Amino acid sequence: MRAVTVRKRLTAVLLIGFFIFAIIDIRLGYVQFVLGDMLTERAKDLWSRNIPFEPERGEIVDRNGVPLATNMSAPSVLVVPRQIENPSEVAKELARILHMPVEKAYKHVTKKTSIERIHPEGRKISNEQAKQIRDLGMKGVYIAEDSKRYYPFGSYLSHVLGFAGIDNQGLMGLELYYDKQLSGKPGSVQFYSDAKGKRMPGMADAYTPPVDGLDLKLTIDTRVQTILERELTIAEATYRPDGIIAIAMNPNNGEILGMASRPTFDPADFQNVPPEIFNRNLPIWSTYEPGSTFKIITLAAALEEKKVDLLKEHFYDPGYVKVAGATLHCWKRGGHGDQTFLEVVQNSCNPGFVELGDRLGKEKLFEYIRAFGFGEKTGIDLQGEGKGILFPLHRVGPVEQATTAFGQGVAVTPIQQVAAVAAAVNGGILYQPYIAKEWLDPVTGEVIQRQTPKAKRRVISEETSKQIRYALESVVAQGTGKGAFVDGYRVGGKTGTAQKAKDGQYLKDNHIVSFIGFAPADDPQIVVYVAVDNPRGTVQFGGVVAAPIVGNIMEDSLRALGVKPRKQQIEKETTWLDPRYVEVPNLIGLTKKDLQQQLFHLKLDGSGEGDTVVEQAPKPGAKVKEGATIRVYFGTKR
Amino acid sequence: MHGKKSAPDFLLMIITFSLLAIGLIMVYSASAIWADYKFHDSFFFAKRQLLFAGIGIVAMFFFMNIDYWTWRTWAKVLLIVCFILLVLVLIPGIGMVRNGSRSWIGIGAFSIQPSEFMKMAMIAFLAKYLSENQKKIASFKQGLLPSLTLVFIAFGMIMLQPDLGTGTVMVGTCVVMIFVAGARMSHFLVLGLLGLAGFAGLVLSAPYRIKRITSFLNPWEDPLGSGFQIIQSLYAIGPGGLFGLGLGQSRQKFFYLPEPQTDFIFAILAEELGFIGGSLVLLLFSLLLWRGIRIALGAPDLYGSFLAVGIIAMVAIQVMINIGVVTGLMPVTGITLPFLSYGGSSLTLMLMAIGVLLNISRYARY
Repeated sequence: MRAVTVRKRLTAVLLIGFFIFAIIDIRLGYVQFVLGDMLTERAKDLWSRNIPFEPERGEIVDRNGVPLATNMSAPSVLVVPRQIENPSEVAKELARILHMPVEKAYKHVTKKTSIERIHPEGRKISNEQAKQIRDLGMKGVYIAEDSKRYYPFGSYLSHVLGFAGIDNQGLMGLELYYDKQLSGKPGSVQFYSDAKGKRMPGMADAYTPPVDGLDLKLTIDTRVQTILERELTIAEATYRPDGIIAIAMNPNNGEILGMASRPTFDPADFQNVPPEIFNRNLPIWSTYEPGSTFKIITLAAALEEKKVDLLKEHFYDPGYVKVAGATLHCWKRGGHGDQTFLEVVQNSCNPGFVELGDRLGKEKLFEYIRAFGFGEKTGIDLQGEGKGILFPLHRVGPVEQATTAFGQGVAVTPIQQVAAVAAAVNGGILYQPYIAKEWLDPVTGEVIQRQTPKAKRRVISEETSKQIRYALESVVAQGTGKGAFVDGYRVGGKTGTAQKAKDGQYLKDNHIVSFIGFAPADDPQIVVYVAVDNPRGTVQFGGVVAAPIVGNIMEDSLRALGVKPRKQQIEKETTWLDPRYVEVPNLIGLTKKDLQQQLFHLKLDGSGEGDTVVEQAPKPGAKVKEGATIRVYFGTKR
Repeated sequence: MHGKKSAPDFLLMIITFSLLAIGLIMVYSASAIWADYKFHDSFFFAKRQLLFAGIGIVAMFFFMNIDYWTWRTWAKVLLIVCFILLVLVLIPGIGMVRNGSRSWIGIGAFSIQPSEFMKMAMIAFLAKYLSENQKKIASFKQGLLPSLTLVFIAFGMIMLQPDLGTGTVMVGTCVVMIFVAGARMSHFLVLGLLGLAGFAGLVLSAPYRIKRITSFLNPWEDPLGSGFQIIQSLYAIGPGGLFGLGLGQSRQKFFYLPEPQTDFIFAILAEELGFIGGSLVLLLFSLLLWRGIRIALGAPDLYGSFLAVGIIAMVAIQVMINIGVVTGLMPVTGITLPFLSYGGSSLTLMLMAIGVLLNISRYARY
């Protein structure tokens, strides 16, 4: 009987044993089939080591290929703590070479991690430091090739270019705006390693090559940019202003040729510059009353709507105008008296423009202001563009309409003005300004993507545009813009002097004086805008301060761009202040006797043997200041 | 007086040799990298395991030819010797500490684990005690209590080292023997509850055990601490899939799974040979269990039955616990997989036990 119990229980033990083995086998299957994928993924993470391969950041070059932002070799130090044999010795050496506290270095070299960067002291070190470390041949200390952003021109175009940080990430300007395209994609070598960091045999490495960033070709022309920077540096020294802005643009497609501002900074040293300096790209950020340069818009609207005939219609300016009980003064005390409307433009006569605004009516006036792109961003491919401020139409009364017509009571950005004036003089098309011209393959230099000019809309007709060019050329030749006159280049433009407002009050003796010009008037190739914020030691008039700067920029830029001087132009009306220019006569072939009989406003400086002039400098036809010296070379008549 | 001797159970022998062969191959495969790194000899562990297997096989045949009644005669003495050894091992200077437990006596490679011997001696003694007092086993006071008291004294001493794995296997084995001997189910129920309470108390007395308990449920809670071994084990088993990565293709043996040739050898086996290989090993152990129980059923006397069931229960329980741990079913206890794990004393003792089992089979009548 007992034996029966034993037999039964033995059988029970066998069955229970089988049952448990079955459960274990099911569990084995569960781990391998149900959890298998998850476990394999996690295990692969555990086995694989990624060695990152940094891509080369794309270079930024000007339209002619001049490098503006490039890369410089700057090695970084990596340590593999497990491989370091004598941590305290290694820490001491690293601390010495990298100028860091020994304790900090020790922390890095003993950190429980597979690969440790010495940050920030060991990042972007000099080649000299890298060599010192390499020469020590310490186990577990590696020098990784890395690169540092380098701006060969220093504080040049710096607001536009911006800068990149320690990880070569764009932080400001174009570097930030186009960071994705410039930075490329990091690659890596993924290899499977054993738990001691050694390569595991029999498992293939997976190499993902880095994709270098694309090179960026700008619309910027360094020849023009250099001229802008030079003129701004001179103006900064001369007037000690709060700030200066300059923009040069091709009016026919919206390509920015140059953009500069003061105060400026060196991208390599941005840490030591107040953020408000490098954060604000003034030519697109600052928003202020444009003053008289805005009259171009009123003029364009009035001409397009056929509300005025510049040559035939006359206007009498008593020096003020009464609008809805308020008296608005002309900038000239006593007024300009009787003038044609062309003279109204030349004189920048405020009551005259109030009249034009009145003829248009507020709806039309504001329609054109918006059509010219004010009140909205231009869409230029730069960070931090301002929008400007326009009166909402329902709040525009007669006074607001009147002041807007001559550029007060509106706030605009410099780039908006440049784009609008470009549209006014290029035949009537508003273009979106842009600065990134082409994306180039960094290896082959092939163009991968090209930015085409973007015409937003037609604002005025060709005919109206032509009239504006004529009127504005006459402003420079005969009106308030004489300072910008460049002989032969037919500069047209408009001065502006705007009071700065602070807390709703106009500041006294604190103006932004500006000039916007274009040339040549028959076929504009460049629009240049310069604004000087609160110049010191001078009369604060746009015609006095800003116009000559634009004139200098125009003259040198047009020559650099290869634009030929014109024969026909509106001759400059001279005042007693202006030096008189005379055309150099042809002296070649004349004898000494002939020369004595001639009456010149010029001095002669002769040299050479003989009696007859065989060569002269300057050449016949050139214009020189009255009383200038002409060098003549005598020879024998053939 | 004992009937005629016949041939031993050849199937049992074949199963044993099969497991032994698989074990030798897996010890080499699992340990080669580690052995090469540590001893610059990828065969370091495999060679030793081969030697242990040789010694073990000799021991197996030796014990196969010793009548199992001999152990009934010596059971008391063996038990007393083992108790003395269990006391000695606790004395610093005599007992050596390995992996946090003072479980070893001896010098270098010639060291033994007294708890392993206690396991065997206890089986021999309990088989004798139960066969002689089988009528009393239904009584709580006269049968069950004395035998259990003895078992738990031994368990307590083993836990002083501490060696939870061996202790658990011994208790489990003894419970199976007492169950087979005819203890009442109601007693088991009460004892089961008491055991559960006792186990809980044991766990609570040492906080590191709580961590072990909880970590097997979610090893990723503490991936570098208590969950480390389980995670590394699962990382081996998981990618194995149906057919495995192929013999010798384990990745986890590259220093990820610590000492892959010992307690966690089944993980490497499942990684290289997949579900098929793992299931085959489980099948072999099931067959082994079947042969063992069959011998217990055919043994000429109660003592032989109890001795046989004790031996086969010990093997089976150790397999269940080991693979349970490796597959994440149970908390980590630190126990070898019979015939497969690297380790001289474990392997030799296992083969000795199979030798005893084979001897019983020679007298079995089915």
